[in-house]
Amino acid sequence: MKEPLPMHRESVLPNVLAGDAPRAAESPMDSDAFAGFYERSARPLWAYLARVSGDPTLADDLMQESFVRFLCASRPDEGEVAGRRYLFRIATNLLRDHWRRPRQSSIEEIPEEFFAASTSSALSESLGPALACMRPRDRQLLWLAHAEGYSHREIAQITGLAAASIRILLFRARRKIANLLRQQSSPTRRQP
Amino acid sequence: MILKPCSREKEVADLLRRGQWPSACPPELRAHLSACRSCGDLALVTETFLRARSEAASAARISTPGALWWRAQIRRRNAAVERIGKPILGAQIFALAINLFIVVAFIAYQARHGLSWLSWLEQLPQAYSLHLDNLSQSALLHPGWSLMVLIPAVATLALLGGVVVYLASEKQ
Repeated sequence: MKEPLPMHRESVLPNVLAGDAPRAAESPMDSDAFAGFYERSARPLWAYLARVSGDPTLADDLMQESFVRFLCASRPDEGEVAGRRYLFRIATNLLRDHWRRPRQSSIEEIPEEFFAASTSSALSESLGPALACMRPRDRQLLWLAHAEGYSHREIAQITGLAAASIRILLFRARRKIANLLRQQSSPTRRQP
Repeated sequence: MILKPCSREKEVADLLRRGQWPSACPPELRAHLSACRSCGDLALVTETFLRARSEAASAARISTPGALWWRAQIRRRNAAVERIGKPILGAQIFALAINLFIVVAFIAYQARHGLSWLSWLEQLPQAYSLHLDNLSQSALLHPGWSLMVLIPAVATLALLGGVVVYLASEKQ
């Protein structure tokens, strides 16, 4: 008859400090794979967070938190493209949580001026002023569609919005920002 | 606002995405762009966003991945400790509830069947001052009383001892 194995509390915990992290953590990525993924994903993610929030310092914090949550999440390994999409989803949710926190109200109810005021001067060149006039959700949609090149279905997965509504929301947002960009560039064109 | 998507939007988007805009743009598509507002908006917005993306990506302050990796592992470990700790807390609450039930049942039993125990308690301060000799004498005279005192005392000591040992091991 087989003797039962001795069950100890520490035996079922990941022995992180002893350097046994990859096995214990049961993460879909080991540290080397993560380093590669990080190198390829960190800059686009930071750009997304910095542009949409208008705050590079906040982007630093949210990017780190996004990667930590990404590693802590137990999900099947579906490849780098799906991993990156999941990372953007985490970042999008973190941004939404951040915007909701100060006023304890819905993101849709917060006036655009509140977000425009927090825009950093470090990121305010051609796109900055126009983007600052947009609603946060529109900024997210525009960035994901035009900077990251995600399809409507992928944007729906990232933002949690209905796929059917992405098309119309994106169309309106694009028209609005195109007008703003044209208004912004027209005075400079007139100059000799 | 009327939503009027253009059939050539995909063509324009592909050129922009491949970085072939405007160099590889055929003249007829260029002519279409000046007439079609939807495609014009798409080209303007995508071009601006792609430029902004590359500017922002080059300005990004990226920390080392190792620190984030270890931070995630420690957070996972803490989550695992919390998960394991939940059933232990449940077992502690269950044990406490059982003990309380036993104590209450014992007191109820004693109150129903051994009222003399209560009367003994009432008489105790009146009859004698609290001396160990007197207590032992009364215990010898009434063996039922000594058991009634002894069992809860031992049970209480065992319970407290267990709690002390558990707390000491937890601190270690």
